Amino acid sequence: MVGAGAMVGFLSGLFGVSGGFLLTPVLIMLGIPPTVAAASDSCQIIAGSSSGTAAHFRLGNVDVRLGTVLLLGGLAGGWLGVRVIKILRALGTADFAITLTYVVMLGLIGGYMFAESLRNLRRDALVPKSHRSTRGESFLSKLPLQMDFPRSQIRHSVLVPFFLGGMVGIVAAIMGVGGGFIMVPMMVYLLRMPMHAAVGTDLFQILFTCAGVTYMQATTNHTVDLVLVLLLAAGSTIGAQVGARGGRRLRGDQIKILLASVVLLVMVKMALGLLLTPEIQLIPVKGH
Amino acid sequence: MIHRSMKIALTAILIVSAPWLAPAAAPPQEARLRVSPETVNMGTFYGGATVRVEGVTGPDEKVVIVVRGGKVTEVFNKVGRVGPIWVNTGKVTISGVPSLLLAFSSEPLGACLTRAAIDKYGLDLPAIKKQMRIESKTPDYGRIADDYFLYKTKQGSYHLVNGGIRMNQPDKDGLPYTLEFVLPKSAPPGQYEISVLECRRGEVVQSSAVPIKVVEVGFSALVAWLATQHPSSYGIISVVVAMLAGFGIDFIAARLFKRKIGGH
Repeated sequence: MVGAGAMVGFLSGLFGVSGGFLLTPVLIMLGIPPTVAAASDSCQIIAGSSSGTAAHFRLGNVDVRLGTVLLLGGLAGGWLGVRVIKILRALGTADFAITLTYVVMLGLIGGYMFAESLRNLRRDALVPKSHRSTRGESFLSKLPLQMDFPRSQIRHSVLVPFFLGGMVGIVAAIMGVGGGFIMVPMMVYLLRMPMHAAVGTDLFQILFTCAGVTYMQATTNHTVDLVLVLLLAAGSTIGAQVGARGGRRLRGDQIKILLASVVLLVMVKMALGLLLTPEIQLIPVKGH
Repeated sequence: MIHRSMKIALTAILIVSAPWLAPAAAPPQEARLRVSPETVNMGTFYGGATVRVEGVTGPDEKVVIVVRGGKVTEVFNKVGRVGPIWVNTGKVTISGVPSLLLAFSSEPLGACLTRAAIDKYGLDLPAIKKQMRIESKTPDYGRIADDYFLYKTKQGSYHLVNGGIRMNQPDKDGLPYTLEFVLPKSAPPGQYEISVLECRRGEVVQSSAVPIKVVEVGFSALVAWLATQHPSSYGIISVVVAMLAGFGIDFIAARLFKRKIGGH
């Protein structure tokens, strides 16, 4: 358990992802009931992300202003996502929808990041990259409520990060994860944030999102196992520190290609789960 | 004449007083079965517990030991292929099955008991199959039952062993036997029953049973109590503890790594 926590904490510190999309399946494979695994995972992410946030804050990577707007959007999107999943469950297709969403999202994001980072790494690192303004960007710059985010060196309408946070919140609620592996690429590619600032800011908003989820899980489903959380946290908090410092030794594109590889590996595993004949064709219903 | 009358009177007295003169019913036989521990404590690092069962049987008898949990109802999603993809095709409810079933025998089960006796005591999967009730839209009940047994076996909740009981040298009391087994960590807190069936010529000639309890203790018990009795406080405590753990480790790591505070 401590080792699994350390692995996820390292990824959390390095990539700014919560690691929920990796740890929950690992815990289930170790024999933890799925409901307990998911809820306890949310709680241990608080430990890992608070450790990572503090480390990134000292390194100047946390944009509190932007993180707060993303968080508000994420909470609104999460609320909506919970209702979407309730409808899907009533239709009896929630599990399939969740897995398919995982495969599509992970495939798109991982594939795009991998290809783009590889292209950049092959270029001469000393050649300054020119960035042409696209039609979409000029549309975003015309939106009202423009605001400077000096820490991230960007200027956007408040609506952009709020809407982005909302979209990620919906997907994160449906998939039952923190959403960092979607949020970080969105921050880099849509908001044009520097990779390190995206990682630090994402950890900041994950910390508060998971605090809310943990409280709701504890009061509604009684599925947070604090003993398990402490074991996982022992590994994840240390791993997050090592990951945050390891990230400083890597260039943005190197971090991106590593994250893309992890995302694609998880996507392949989930796609195989949909295509290969399962050994047991019965899946326990969560919460029963 | 007197002699004859006395004989009749004595016979009458004996007949009337027979129930009171007869030796008292034999006291309950001394426990032939010893289980240790009788209570399994489930602590923070609990990963299952080794339980020892000891007893004495007759020299010609074979022994079957069963550890059983109460009957449960479980609900599953059944997956089926739609095109190239495996998706949920409906709910399956399985009931009338024990939550836990561990069975051990001094010889292969078929050599200890007849099929009818195995079915009566529910000692193997075919016997459990006869007792289980399946509610499903699809009629492949055989496949569902097999998948359920595979699921429970992988979970550690069903473990059927042809053997496992050590029969020792006979002594003046009979034939002593010993069994050591691991109560799996998948067995939740609650009461289970350990039954010993002494068998001769394929039938159970004597049986005895003792309960065994699994209880949560220490920090785990405190956490379980808080989680169920005070969920709101528990939620806040969980968040605060996790945050403190994270910031605490960061505080220590910042001093260990001795990094300069500031931007990069």
